[in-house]
Amino acid sequence: MAIVNLKDKTIQIKIVYYGPGRSGKTTNLEFIHNKLQQNRNQQISNLVSIDTKGDRTLFFDFFPVSLGKINGFDLKLKLYTTPGQVKYEATRRLVLKGVDGLVFVADSLTSRQDANLESFENLKSNLLYHKQSLSDVKLIFQWNKRDIDEKMIPLSPIEEMERLLNSELKVQSFPASATSGMNVLKTVNYISKETVKSVIEKTILNKHKMGN
Amino acid sequence: MNTVIREDTVTKVEKILQDFIEESGATYALITDMGGNPLFTAGEEDFDVDTLAALSAANYATTKEIANLIKEDNFSLLFHRGNNENVHFAKITQDILMIVLFKPFLSLGLLRLKINSLQQKIVSIIGN
Repeated sequence: MAIVNLKDKTIQIKIVYYGPGRSGKTTNLEFIHNKLQQNRNQQISNLVSIDTKGDRTLFFDFFPVSLGKINGFDLKLKLYTTPGQVKYEATRRLVLKGVDGLVFVADSLTSRQDANLESFENLKSNLLYHKQSLSDVKLIFQWNKRDIDEKMIPLSPIEEMERLLNSELKVQSFPASATSGMNVLKTVNYISKETVKSVIEKTILNKHKMGN
Repeated sequence: MNTVIREDTVTKVEKILQDFIEESGATYALITDMGGNPLFTAGEEDFDVDTLAALSAANYATTKEIANLIKEDNFSLLFHRGNNENVHFAKITQDILMIVLFKPFLSLGLLRLKINSLQQKIVSIIGN
């Protein structure tokens, strides 16, 4: 649920990276955070990670980033990841509360295609828990780990992943490598732009105002 | 559903929060939605407000899940005591949470009474 504050002239938007365990959600956020720290003069908030001792996400990773102004409004993006491991279902569900945009980070390893599918079904049921569906949010896919040498570890062809996850929705997707950074910024730029566009349309068309 | 907060709503609620800080001696007050977006603030801070809102919403939601797990409706008190600063969390409406930072020498009981009366004032402005 995006928040538009007419006094402070701010728009707050929540983007969540979802996907199976070890698909590269945290690595995406770390790459974006590092790039912003390197490239921008302005102060970037710390990346908060609530993880286990084994460096697996326990609850979420989070950092807010200002995107500048649009129509006189300061845009503030909140980037979150969810824990991918199946056992963290309760915390994963909580992170989705109020989501505006979703990046589904799918693992390209052939052996992880069932996990991708399971995680995607889980996403739909968790959205339902918050009385939302995929049509209420902006969604894109990222086919991660495309940099892996196929001679070493078999990868699923992109067409196969599209067929498995994106044949009905036909939303934007990017082949990517979160470790090398390939298409990581492209992914976040695209989802931000599309989500902001949708939020502005919805707030103009559907003025749900807080206050009597 | 997106939420547009009107200018006069922000002014009214932040005035109530500011008055509360002056009367109670609390350090800082933040109202956030349960998705972790800050809505209204008052007081001085030297930390990232977005991060406080995100972590507080997550903290509150987690505690509520624990309550559900052990068949409680919710816990009546969510409070962390620190050496220099305490934090109190209170649900204002189904979708809104209030976080108050205050010094350990202040009375928690008194603060909670003030927060309770504040809650009604805020609901009368923002609705349920």
